[in-house]
Amino acid sequence: MAERSVQITNRNGLHARPAAEIVKAASRFQSEITLVREELEVNGKSIMGVMMLAAECGSTVTVRATGPDEEMALESITDLIHRGFGEV
Amino acid sequence: MLSAFRGVPASPGIVFGTVYLLRWEVPDVRHRIVADDEIDGEIARFHEALEAARVRVNRVRRRAERRAGPEEAAIFDVQLSMLDDVELVQGTESYIHRNIAAEKAFDLVMSEWRKNFARHSLPMVRERLGDLTDVHIRVLSLLLGLPDHDPVDVPQGAGAILVTHDLTPSLTVQLDPRAIAAIATDAGTRTSHVAILARSLGIPAVVGLKDATTRLRGRERAVLDGSTGTLIVDPSEAEEDAYRRRATQEALDDAELLRLSHGDTITTDGVRVTIYANVDLPEEADIAATSGAEGVGLMRTEFLVLGRTTMPDEEEQYRAYARVIDAFSGQPIIIRTFDIGGDKLPTGGYPVEANPFLGWRAIRMCLDEPELFKIQLRAILRAATHGDVRILLPLVVSVEEVRATRVLVAEAAAELAERGVAHRDQLPLGVMIETPAAAITADTLAGDVEFFSIGSNDLVQYTLAVDRGNVNLAERFTPLHPAVLRLIRDVVRASEAGGVQVGVCGEMASEPLHAFALLGLGVRQLSVAPRSVPLMKRLVRGVSVGIAQEAMTAALEAGSPQRAEAELRRRLLAAFGDAAFLRDGLLAT
Repeated sequence: MAERSVQITNRNGLHARPAAEIVKAASRFQSEITLVREELEVNGKSIMGVMMLAAECGSTVTVRATGPDEEMALESITDLIHRGFGEV
Repeated sequence: MLSAFRGVPASPGIVFGTVYLLRWEVPDVRHRIVADDEIDGEIARFHEALEAARVRVNRVRRRAERRAGPEEAAIFDVQLSMLDDVELVQGTESYIHRNIAAEKAFDLVMSEWRKNFARHSLPMVRERLGDLTDVHIRVLSLLLGLPDHDPVDVPQGAGAILVTHDLTPSLTVQLDPRAIAAIATDAGTRTSHVAILARSLGIPAVVGLKDATTRLRGRERAVLDGSTGTLIVDPSEAEEDAYRRRATQEALDDAELLRLSHGDTITTDGVRVTIYANVDLPEEADIAATSGAEGVGLMRTEFLVLGRTTMPDEEEQYRAYARVIDAFSGQPIIIRTFDIGGDKLPTGGYPVEANPFLGWRAIRMCLDEPELFKIQLRAILRAATHGDVRILLPLVVSVEEVRATRVLVAEAAAELAERGVAHRDQLPLGVMIETPAAAITADTLAGDVEFFSIGSNDLVQYTLAVDRGNVNLAERFTPLHPAVLRLIRDVVRASEAGGVQVGVCGEMASEPLHAFALLGLGVRQLSVAPRSVPLMKRLVRGVSVGIAQEAMTAALEAGSPQRAEAELRRRLLAAFGDAAFLRDGLLAT
């Protein structure tokens, strides 16, 4: 299992479009992807789950990947969040 | 049998058409058990329904993109990803494996998700509920073999009067003005998303009809009158004739008024009155500019945030303001800063209030969220390089609010200077006079502002403690109440003594009788809906300020709103004699 915490930096947080991008990225990997924020754990491959997370700008999300390609999956998703989904 | 529904006028115009009932509701699903050997078949049926829904959403998405642009169409991407949602698919399959039929399995999973979204503490999440509901209805309709109610299927030229409970954004972007002639909804107010959109598309609309969808069956003949907020179902021949005559007359009057709309507006005794237009959306700017308006007396900016999922950035706001300013080439544009409560912001996290009209809203919220407010101020300072721009602050009750805003304007200008962006450093600053507090202390405020704008709707509401949205109080919402008239008179006096301009931008300025009263109170600047500009010009050119003052003196002494109205009406009708355009307007008041 690989795990890393990242801060949400785009101004509007994980609203619908960024949530969809995370799901798209996560679905490319075989590993199970879990996103954790405070008490809530959601499936990183579920758009409704990621939207329920409602991570706002400045909040911290833990990304957890378990499976054969866990390192690559982790790298890909945390990078997407770091870059703020291309928002200014 | 004739039945008439009364609602809220949302977008003007008379339409004869056929009721097209759009029931966009989650259907009831009965519990159904399937045998073990049916399970694989149910799972396959579920996947077929998802695939059919994808095809359907993609089709709707393409239509929306052509009609409303890629930004609006993007809302369907969220729905497409929901149809692929792994939790949704696995959850449904696991119920089916426990011998529950596909439609019930899907219904159980979706109901659970919708409950979680509806209960979420953040509005950002609650706002997606509409998308979940759309997906829920679409897939269930396919599984149950129910007819698909998408408005995309209304044929062009159908003259449809679309009757529905409420229009979700995803339904709204599908509307084709060539097929949908008018809109009627159970829910909604004049300022709700559907009303604003209908006005910008030029589709007549009535909202707030309460129970029209439950009382109609669909396919009835009907007349919708967006100016009075009525929907007449199965009209009698006489009724229909009367509406046809009115529609023809309205068209003639509009053409005649437009012919008269250009040039100065001067009363018969030589007093010049300025007629401005109110603009709700940038899309209305061109219509407003050709209406004969001499500028924009009130540019609302709420459209930038209402019904959105993200906050507009400085660039988007700048482009929206510049579009209106450019349409009016050099004429004054008064931009009002955000007049909304925190619960309307897409950024979320703000509580819903028990009493929003007395709550944390407008200038109060903007001053408490200075970073958010400064985005708007920077956009306005930049747009001001395109023309004559002034800033108007809503819901001001104290001079401190004006001073605090000036500090933020200076900061915004400094930030732009640092970035090296073209902008104006300072702009004329004005306040809405819409609370008794502002009206009574207008003499003090005059020392700190360049202009006043009397917002008559809210001034009446706050002075009389009458909610104008409450149907039970409609008769008590009386702009000609002596308390209101005296406040306006005193504000005009304070503005003259303090050397600041004063105008009226509420609905009062659009009613012939009320506008006549305002002239008598000394108001020389009226801002009205673009459609009303020609009417107002014609009205002002036909009256004298002398008679208006005389009528006003009588009205102020009359003691009751009803007697005040009678005094004004008598003199105004005498001044115009038989003018049909005025009589209709007066009878309607």
